[in-house]
Amino acid sequence: MPYPELFAWWAISISSSIVFLTLVSVYLYVNSSRRRRAESGRETPNMITLGRNFIFVFVLIGLLFFYIISIRIGSILVFAVGNIAVEAILVAYLIRNKTEAS
Amino acid sequence: MEVLLRQFKNPIFAILIACAVVAGFFEEPEQSIAILAMIAISVILGFYNEYKAEEIVKNLQENVSIKAIVTREGKASQIDSRLLVPGDIVSLYVGDIVPADMRIIECNDLQTDEATFTGESFPVEKVSRSLDLENPMPQQLTNYLFMGTVVVHGTGRGAIVSTGKNTGMGAISKSLTRAHPETEFQRGVKQYGTMLLTLTLALTITIFALNTAVGHPLIDSLLFSLAIAVGLVPELMPAIVTISLAQGARRMAKVQVIVKRLVSIEDFGNMDVLCTDKTGTLTEGRIALKDTYPLGREKNQKILTYSLLCNDAILGEKIVGNPMDVAVWEYSIKNGIRNSLSAYTKVDEIPFDYQKRMLSIVVRKDGEHILISKGAPESIFSKCEYAEVSGKIKKISTVMKAVNTKFLNLSELGYRILAVACRPIDVKTSYSAEDETNLTLLGFLIFTDSPKKDANEAVSRLNDMGVDVKILTGDNELVARTICNEIKIPVKRVVCGSDLIQMSWTEIRKVVEETTIFARITPEQKLDIIKALKANGHVVGFMGDGVNDAPALYEADVGISVDTSVDVSKEAADIVLLEKDLLVLADGINEGRKIFSNTIKYILMGTSSNFGNMFSAAAASVFLPFLPMLPMQILFMNLFYDISNMTLPTDNVDEEYVRHPRHWDIGFVRKYTLFFGPFSSLYDFLTYGIMLFVFGASAPLFQSGWFVESFWTEVLVIFVIRTKRIPFFTSRPGKWLALLTLSCVALGTILPFTILGGFLGFTPLPAEYWVLLILMVATYLLLVDAGKVFFYKICKF
Repeated sequence: MPYPELFAWWAISISSSIVFLTLVSVYLYVNSSRRRRAESGRETPNMITLGRNFIFVFVLIGLLFFYIISIRIGSILVFAVGNIAVEAILVAYLIRNKTEAS
Repeated sequence: MEVLLRQFKNPIFAILIACAVVAGFFEEPEQSIAILAMIAISVILGFYNEYKAEEIVKNLQENVSIKAIVTREGKASQIDSRLLVPGDIVSLYVGDIVPADMRIIECNDLQTDEATFTGESFPVEKVSRSLDLENPMPQQLTNYLFMGTVVVHGTGRGAIVSTGKNTGMGAISKSLTRAHPETEFQRGVKQYGTMLLTLTLALTITIFALNTAVGHPLIDSLLFSLAIAVGLVPELMPAIVTISLAQGARRMAKVQVIVKRLVSIEDFGNMDVLCTDKTGTLTEGRIALKDTYPLGREKNQKILTYSLLCNDAILGEKIVGNPMDVAVWEYSIKNGIRNSLSAYTKVDEIPFDYQKRMLSIVVRKDGEHILISKGAPESIFSKCEYAEVSGKIKKISTVMKAVNTKFLNLSELGYRILAVACRPIDVKTSYSAEDETNLTLLGFLIFTDSPKKDANEAVSRLNDMGVDVKILTGDNELVARTICNEIKIPVKRVVCGSDLIQMSWTEIRKVVEETTIFARITPEQKLDIIKALKANGHVVGFMGDGVNDAPALYEADVGISVDTSVDVSKEAADIVLLEKDLLVLADGINEGRKIFSNTIKYILMGTSSNFGNMFSAAAASVFLPFLPMLPMQILFMNLFYDISNMTLPTDNVDEEYVRHPRHWDIGFVRKYTLFFGPFSSLYDFLTYGIMLFVFGASAPLFQSGWFVESFWTEVLVIFVIRTKRIPFFTSRPGKWLALLTLSCVALGTILPFTILGGFLGFTPLPAEYWVLLILMVATYLLLVDAGKVFFYKICKF
C-alpha cells in the first residue's frame, strides 16, 4: 500500500467526519423530540422506535467500516461492489421513507 | 459605471487581489495571472447581471408614473408629471407631491411638508401674494412650491417655473424618500453574513497556523488559507440575489405587480399578515351616489345642489378629484340636475382635513352668504344645532334619536354616508374652521361600493396561503362588518379606534392578534397596529392608497399601494399594484415565495457542500506532504461553482414551498450546515484514500482527482438539495439550471485533459478512477437524499 504512514491519519479524518455527523444527528434528534414532547405531551419513544429512527445513522457507521476496510484492502472491485450494495440499501431506505412521507 | 464600481466594493476581491500580489511578490506569476483572471471574470459576471437587473427594475418603474392635473389653453387634464414644462398651470390637492418648482397663483389654506427639501419638520403655510425679499432663502419663499414637497393641507394652483434637474430639489440632488426600515430579509442576510465571516475567519486563521506549524512553506500556507477563505465566501451571492429578485420582479409585472424596492420581494412572499382597507380590495372601489336621503318624507333638492357646490372635483374631459365628489357629479349629470347651480357664486372654501373630516364652502346667492358643510356624519352632527325635517327647521336634539337610527340603519346596509348641512353666514373677507358651527342638518348622501365578486375567493386564497387578512378602515364598524358578512369573511373581533386609544401597548399587542376589523381608526393608530404586529414577530404587509396611509406604508415590512393612489403613498410603497385586486396580490405573493425559495437554495448549497469541502481541504493540508489543492485550483473551482449557480433563480419551486409564508431562520441555516457539511467532507476523505492508497497518487494526480470529485459533488448536490421530494421523479429542476449544471460538470470533467488544466496544475486521470468516481458520487447523492429525509423529519422549515 502506498503512503502507509498516512493511513492512520486518513482513518482518523474520515472517522471524525462520521462521528461528527452522528453527534449532530443525535443532537438534532434529541432537540427536536424534546420540543415535540413539550408541544404534544407524548411519551419518550421506546427502544424499537428509537432504533428505527436511527437507521440512517447506523447506515453511516456501516459505511465508515466498509470504506476503511475496502481502502485498506486496496481492491477496486471490492470497493465498487460494496458501493453498489450501499446504493441498493439507500434506495430501499429512500423508497420506504418517501412513501411514508407522501 | 456605478454598477461596475460597486463590484469592486466586494471585500472578497480585496482578499483575491491580496492573493495575487502575494503570489506575484513570491515569483509565482502563473498563480498571480490566474487569480487576476478570476477577478476579471467575477467582475464581468457580477456587472452583467446587476446591470441587467437594474435595467429591468428601471423599465418596470416606468410603469408607475406620477400624474399631475394641468391646465393648458384653459382645459384641465391629467398628465404624466414628467411631461410638464415651465409655464404649465398645475392644480394641487392634499397628498400630491409637487411635480416641479412653481409660483403659487392661488391657494386655499395651502400647507406643504418641505422636510425633504429644507429639513423643516413642520408644515409650511403657503401664500399667493408677492413677497418683498432680498436674496431670500428657499424657506422664506412661501409663495413658491418646491418639487418633491408634499401638499398636506388645502388646495392651490401654481405656474411651473422649472422642472427636473433645474429645480431646487434637482440641484441639491436630495432623495425624495426616507430610508425604509430594514426588511426581515435584509436582517436575515446580515445574520448570514456575520455567521459566514465568523466561520471564515476562524477557519482561515486555524489553517494558516496549522500549515505553518507542520512545516509547509509560509507563502504556500498563506495562499492556501486565503484561497480557502475565498472558497468559503459566495462572492457571486449579491449578483445571484439581485438577478433572482429582478427576474422575479419581471415575472411579477406580468401579473400587474410592480416592484419598486427589490429587497422587499422576499418579505412580500413571506408576509403572514396583510392589513388593508376595504375600498377597492373587498369592494369594487367605484363609489357611486345611490341617492340623497332627506330627514323627512319629502325629497330635499338642497342636499344634492349643496353637495355639488361643496365639491372639489374638477370638470374637464373627465371628472377628476375625490371619488365621492366625482360620484356626486356623475349622479347629477346623469339625472340632469346641474343647471340649478348657476344662481350660486363660490366665495371661499374651508378645506377638508383628516382631523375634522368635513369640507365647507361659502357661496353667495341673491346677496346672501351661505356656509355649506359636507363630511362624516358624526363630525357634521357635532356641528349642528338644527335639522331641516320636511321643510321645517327643528332643534336637532328633538330629532337626534331618529337621525341616529336612520344613520345606523343605512350604515348597517353597507352604505357609505356623508351628511350635508348649511347655515346662513355673515359676509366676511375670509372664513375658517371656526365658522363651521350652528349648522342645520339637511340629510345624507348615500354612496354604494358593492362587494367584489371575487373578494371571498381572494381572501380565502390568501388565508390558504397562510396570510391573515385584517381590515383597517376609517369607516364605522357597521359598514365594515356588513361588507365582511356579504362576502362571507369570518370576523373574529371588531375593534374601534376609540377602544384602541385606551389600551396599553401590551393590550394592543394582544388585541391585534385576535381582531379582524379595525374601524374608525386614525393614521397614527394604523401605525400602532403595524408596529404591534411586527413586535409579535409577524411579517406585515400594508395596502393603502391615501395620503394618511404613507406612514403605515413606510413602517410595514411591505408597503403596497395602487397605481391610482395619491402620489405620496405611491412614493412610500415598496410594491405598486396596477390593479387594486387581492387576487393579483396573491399571485405576487406566490412569486415572492418562489424567489425566496431559490435564494435560500443558494445559501443552503453554499453553506453545506462548500463548507464540507473546505473543512476537508483544511484537514488534508495538515497531514498530507503536499497541498491537497493549489490555491488557484480552489479559486477556479469556486468560480466554476458560482457560474453553475447562475441559473438557480430560474429553477422550478415545489408547491409546498409556496403554500405557507416562511421566515429567515439563521438557526435552521446553521443546523443545515452542521448536518450536510460533513457529507461532503466524508466523500472528500474517501477520495483522498482512493487517490493515496489505491492509486498511490503524486501531488498533481491527487489534486486532479480531488478537484473533479469535489466539483461533481458540490455542483450535482443542487439536484438533491433543491427539493424535499425525490429529485427528478417527483420534482423536476428548471431546464436552464439542469442544462448549465450539467454543462459545468462536463467542463470540469474534461478540464484535467486540456491545456488550461495543465496550466492550472492538473494531470489526466486513470480510467479506473472514473468508474470509482461515478459509483462514489452516486452513493454520495443517495446518502445526502437519505440524510435529507432524516433531517426534515426532525427539523422543520
